Amino acid sequence: MLPILLAFAAATIPGQSPLAIRAKTVWTGGGRVLENGVVVVDDGRIQSVGTDVAIPEDAEVLEHDGVLTAGMIALHGAAGAVGETRDGTRPALPEARVGLALDGRSRDFEELREAGITSILVTPDPSGITGGTTALVKTLDGQVVRDPAHLSLVFSSEGLSGNREPTSRPGALALLNALFAEPRGVVADARAGRIGCLFEVREREDIGRAIAFAREKKLRGALHGAGLSGELSEPIRDSGLAVILPVLGVGAPQRVLDAVARLAKDGVAFGFGLDAPWVHADSLRLSAALCVRAGLDRQAAWRGLTADAAKIAGVDDRLGRIERGLDADLVLWSGDPLDLSSSARTVLVGGKSVPMGGPAGTAKESHR
Amino acid sequence: MTFLLVALAALAVAPLPQDPEPRAWTIQAERVYTSTGRNLEKGLVVVSAGKISAVTPGAGDEDERPRDRLKVYAVTAGLVDAGVRVTNWSSVEQSKEVTPQLRVSDALDPFALDWERQLRSGVTTVLASPIDRNVIGGLSVVLKTAGPESIAARTLKADAVLRGSMGSDPSAGNHAASGRPTDFYSRRPTTRMGVEWEWRNAFFTTALGQNEQDPGRATLVAALQGKIPVFVQAWTTQDIRTAVFLREEVQARPEFASAGMNTPRFVIDAAAEAWKEPQLLARSQTPVILPPFPAGGRTRDNALMAWNVAKILKDSGVPFALSSHGSSDVADRLAMQAGYAMAGGITFEDALAAVTSTPAKLLGVDSRVGSLEVGKDADLVLWSGEPFQPGTRVVATIVDGVLRYEGWDAVQGAAIAR
Repeated sequence: MLPILLAFAAATIPGQSPLAIRAKTVWTGGGRVLENGVVVVDDGRIQSVGTDVAIPEDAEVLEHDGVLTAGMIALHGAAGAVGETRDGTRPALPEARVGLALDGRSRDFEELREAGITSILVTPDPSGITGGTTALVKTLDGQVVRDPAHLSLVFSSEGLSGNREPTSRPGALALLNALFAEPRGVVADARAGRIGCLFEVREREDIGRAIAFAREKKLRGALHGAGLSGELSEPIRDSGLAVILPVLGVGAPQRVLDAVARLAKDGVAFGFGLDAPWVHADSLRLSAALCVRAGLDRQAAWRGLTADAAKIAGVDDRLGRIERGLDADLVLWSGDPLDLSSSARTVLVGGKSVPMGGPAGTAKESHR
Repeated sequence: MTFLLVALAALAVAPLPQDPEPRAWTIQAERVYTSTGRNLEKGLVVVSAGKISAVTPGAGDEDERPRDRLKVYAVTAGLVDAGVRVTNWSSVEQSKEVTPQLRVSDALDPFALDWERQLRSGVTTVLASPIDRNVIGGLSVVLKTAGPESIAARTLKADAVLRGSMGSDPSAGNHAASGRPTDFYSRRPTTRMGVEWEWRNAFFTTALGQNEQDPGRATLVAALQGKIPVFVQAWTTQDIRTAVFLREEVQARPEFASAGMNTPRFVIDAAAEAWKEPQLLARSQTPVILPPFPAGGRTRDNALMAWNVAKILKDSGVPFALSSHGSSDVADRLAMQAGYAMAGGITFEDALAAVTSTPAKLLGVDSRVGSLEVGKDADLVLWSGEPFQPGTRVVATIVDGVLRYEGWDAVQGAAIAR
């Protein structure tokens, strides 16, 4: 099955005038930091960005004395699909689509969008050898950006069971090999490179097996869930796979944080997972901030939350940067977003303002 | 010239993995125990490019390149343990009782601390086998205990041994269904005879061509033709007898002869009660691997392991190897097993063979490891005193010419000249 790209026009209210945001600092996510930058939004998309941009006459102008960025993309979670992401009855469910289990209007998304997370990769749980396919959804109005986004493949021990096949690593590998002999379906799409794979890994040994399998079957995608991925940064880089880090709490060992720095140094693209809704949405920024404190380059960390995350989700043609033509998923931060005392003041998803502070929308500043 | 520059540039952007290169070493020892029957008092073992390049008497030029010269009391070949269990439930696929085609190497963790523990006790080569939960668990792998951080890179011989078990282990946990079965453990075998039946069933269906669709068939054919040895765990007398009789039945029955599958090679692993059946083992020419000597005299499966079991096997002409089973208990270390076997009556030479050359032969890797001979892999153990004595330490372990372990006295500089 080909991945379905739902290219709906973003949900800008018809007839609404363009919006120009003049921000003290703009992080475009493409490596540029603009002082006193202007971003013009119209029809749900970014029309222009720069320091010397013509503001349309009918535009509403918003002055922002802080940092303007693209919305963050969380790369792992069950938001909107709690209780629906695991079917452990069979060893393999490659065609199970978590995107079809989603409630796009779930309140799980409120916390995410108010924290500046404008999209999340919803993922099936590691179960058997594959629990199905992932979906990338926006956190406002349940808009599906990409479904299926990846085929989930389980290389961690979580896929093993005591009372159904597979119970063992060799058994799981035999099942995976049998699965990849399937001539049709999402597995064939993965084999042909039409869809990436999300390799569920936890330990370094899992990474070795996942890389070997990816190489043998010529698969692309990302390794999710191993804090020490960076200790294998060279073989990961050589495999062409990206890394999705697990949630790094305040207790994350120095060894893990050092490993993340090695990923950046060796040129491995990485993003951050968020086990939403069980982990608070601000943990996404916290993960990246801890890495910055341990020495990771600030912009590299931010790319992991935006531009590189969009690449890993296969949606960098629409999301992750502030660039002409991309979706107007924007966050106006009170200050540096990797400073945890900063907060999201205004969040736009597809140019549409997110009500802040819960249903009443009173606790925080809100734009239109 | 341009090409050279391009090559240099490529090197600059892609540094090689930081794995130590094999170095030239000269080990100067009071005792060189080669496992070939020819030992040296005051000798040298010279290592280069990961191989042993010389084993000579004398002390050589002691002033020459002191950095590469290691002085110790004794040196032996790296120890070989043919009985290491992977203590991990995910090493065996329990959804079926017979899984000959599955490889334990797919379950191994190159980062596990078990390898380093082996290294510290002087073991440089192991046969790693799946945990004995299946009747026929799968293919074991021979690998070095140190090297690059991948199992493939450490593998000395893939698919080296077909691994299975008699006795109570494969039936433990299975039960007859009472009412509706809720999991796959409602199945045979639940008894010793059920275990034996599964072996017989696997062998007969293979010889009779009744399992053409079975993914394990090719492995079973190779085992019945003797291309892969079959290591059968059998602790007790009746299980040892069962295994030997099964092989003799395969050798004798016309079904196997007509299929060209009547020459299996069996090794009895964990044969604690082998001392009760030395004539049977000698007559059938079945080598055995002894389990670690148990503290209370009784092993798993309630087998009684006599202290002189190695002596009885030696006197009867049964080839035997010793094993630690990969146990984390310091009293189970392979070097200690050799000491216990000596306490049971065998000579140092026989004990040394049982932890070096004999297991290397049983695994079919004796052209590479198991003795100190020119051309073999530079896997060496440096000992502070007479090997296998309780007070003797492993000072250092070298694998493929790389110094992979240094003991505390090496750190202090007392034994190793740096």
